[in-house]
Amino acid sequence: MCARNSIYTTPKPCKHLADYKLRHGFNTYYSIRNCLKTTPNGRTRVAKHTTKIPRCSFCDRYQGRLYFCLMCSSLWCPTHILLHTQSEKGHEVAIDMNRSELYCCLCCDQVYDPDFDKVVVCNQVKDLPGGSKSKTNGFEACGERSSKRKRLDSGIGLDLKKSKLLVSMRDRRAKSCYPLGLRGLNNLGSTCFMNSVLQALLHAPPLRNYFLNDRHNSIQCRKRSGEKLCLLCDIDAISSAMFSGDRTPYTPAHFLYSWWQHSSNLASYEEQDAHEFFISVLDGIHEMESKIRNSGKDDGDCQCIAHRAFSGLLRSDVTCISCGFTSTTYDPCVDISLNMDTSNLSSSNANKPIKPDEKTGASTLSGCLNLFTRAERLGSDQKLHCQNCQELRDSSKQLSIRRLPLVLCLHIKRVEHSLVRKISRKINQYMQFPFSLDMTPYLSSSIVRSKFGNRIFTFEYDNSNSSAAYEIFAVIAHSGMLESGHYVTYLRLKNQWYKCDDAWISEVDEGIVRASQCYMLFYVQKLLYNEAIEDSSFVHISPRRDPFDSTAGCS
Amino acid sequence: MKHSVNRPPTPDGAEDQGNEPILQEIINIKLIESGEKERLMEMLRERLIECGWKDEMKALCRAYVKKKGRNNVTVDDLVHLITPKGRASVPDSVKAELLQRIRSFLTSAAL
Repeated sequence: MCARNSIYTTPKPCKHLADYKLRHGFNTYYSIRNCLKTTPNGRTRVAKHTTKIPRCSFCDRYQGRLYFCLMCSSLWCPTHILLHTQSEKGHEVAIDMNRSELYCCLCCDQVYDPDFDKVVVCNQVKDLPGGSKSKTNGFEACGERSSKRKRLDSGIGLDLKKSKLLVSMRDRRAKSCYPLGLRGLNNLGSTCFMNSVLQALLHAPPLRNYFLNDRHNSIQCRKRSGEKLCLLCDIDAISSAMFSGDRTPYTPAHFLYSWWQHSSNLASYEEQDAHEFFISVLDGIHEMESKIRNSGKDDGDCQCIAHRAFSGLLRSDVTCISCGFTSTTYDPCVDISLNMDTSNLSSSNANKPIKPDEKTGASTLSGCLNLFTRAERLGSDQKLHCQNCQELRDSSKQLSIRRLPLVLCLHIKRVEHSLVRKISRKINQYMQFPFSLDMTPYLSSSIVRSKFGNRIFTFEYDNSNSSAAYEIFAVIAHSGMLESGHYVTYLRLKNQWYKCDDAWISEVDEGIVRASQCYMLFYVQKLLYNEAIEDSSFVHISPRRDPFDSTAGCS
Repeated sequence: MKHSVNRPPTPDGAEDQGNEPILQEIINIKLIESGEKERLMEMLRERLIECGWKDEMKALCRAYVKKKGRNNVTVDDLVHLITPKGRASVPDSVKAELLQRIRSFLTSAAL
């Protein structure tokens, strides 16, 4: 994406609002504080007239938008508010009664003022149960922000600095002009699920750099753990093989054996699910590294390469419908599984039939992400205990992303379970996805902020927009049916797409990738992506090991 | 923006309809006093989000702003733009559900 203003650029106040503030400062803002009433879901209304129905002072209308003049507290509908401003000098600014948002009568448009928002939001936080004491409404401590930023910077700094020291080495044995690191993987019997994920993992910039920089030393590892199998050593071996320059398809037999040992429940010649495999590989890497470092750190702070690359933090807000009390929890995650945003499925709309000509648009990634972060009313059979009400209440739950990972793996759930017929079906619907992705709207700061209306008040832990911009580098596509399908990986190297279909690598046009049936999408933070493009022609020569040695296990 | 969209149907200016507006007003007053209106509004908002109506309106607004330019559009413009389309595209099931709720409220309130 070219230079685009951040979604939350503070709009400048109009001339009228600016003048108004010069004259009155915050006085009128403070005076309406007592008239604001917040409902449990976060909406704030101006509720001065508790007995009378609010009506327009000119036409008596009570429906639709009504504006409350900040100067004289009179009420007007949009059509007649201009009359008021014209007759009374200085009464230019009003507040939308239902939304508590500012309106400039002369510009006939909504206007924004961070000071006003501050007053309103403070009121909202105060009104909602647990407000002033808890941190659930978005006012996190500043300290948290700075430590998070330090973590992110160190993550980037580590890999980029090292890659700058790499020695340039062009492989003379390469028959084609394919970039280094591109190599087919032989199918060992329905193992396309494994090959596709390996291709994506090995080309994820943090992991690629990790192995190329020889961060996992096999010799030392074998010394330490004896004969025990190490997934990292095996991946390291595959990585060396991939980047060796040899273009003949590689057979990852040793890795398959190690993985079978680790995930014995999945050890068979049946087709497995690529996403399940992905999770189990990350788990295996984590286990191995935590054994080495002898640390039992949980996923959030773990420094193993799997977590450093993929670990993010999800925020879950559960709000009581009756009183508005919100309880917030944070859970680490290594990927995000998304339901598809199609409303054409019969199973999801059994209770709410929709007109046949409605909503026939294609499914999109942003639609899926919106669905993921949408506030969802939990069913009456799922009542939760509200701390404030001290009983079981209906609640609504909303997810958002508190901290984004370096590498974002999005898993598109393409399985539909029919409880009625007790079968599972694959959803073949096409889903559109972008190559450049901005995750800002799905961050906790955006989601929590939007709960309170159109505010431009900044929360303490706003992420800078640069760390929410992602570029795609791998797509795992699935074709066929649930039980018998085929996975391929599309890799994007130096702005050229390649199809990795087990042993066969070929250049493809980006149109093919866009049209594919995506199952897993891999995005990396834009900063890392740009660096990866620059350095992908370099290979690090380790003083200890010649990367062109044929590795054991390649039978 | 998103909150501009949520509004009940606009009555057509100051019409003289005899007794009808008065009955409407009475119902409205009863709904507001009992707090039922607030609950109905909440339910309506949920339904309109679930069926994708809100996203459609959002897309219409976005397209309009893109065409006119960000600085040449006011809230009033957007409201006038999407009101007719919005009212026409509310799913029948949503209307039916609302009517049902209001009906049952009235029968219980009439007691």
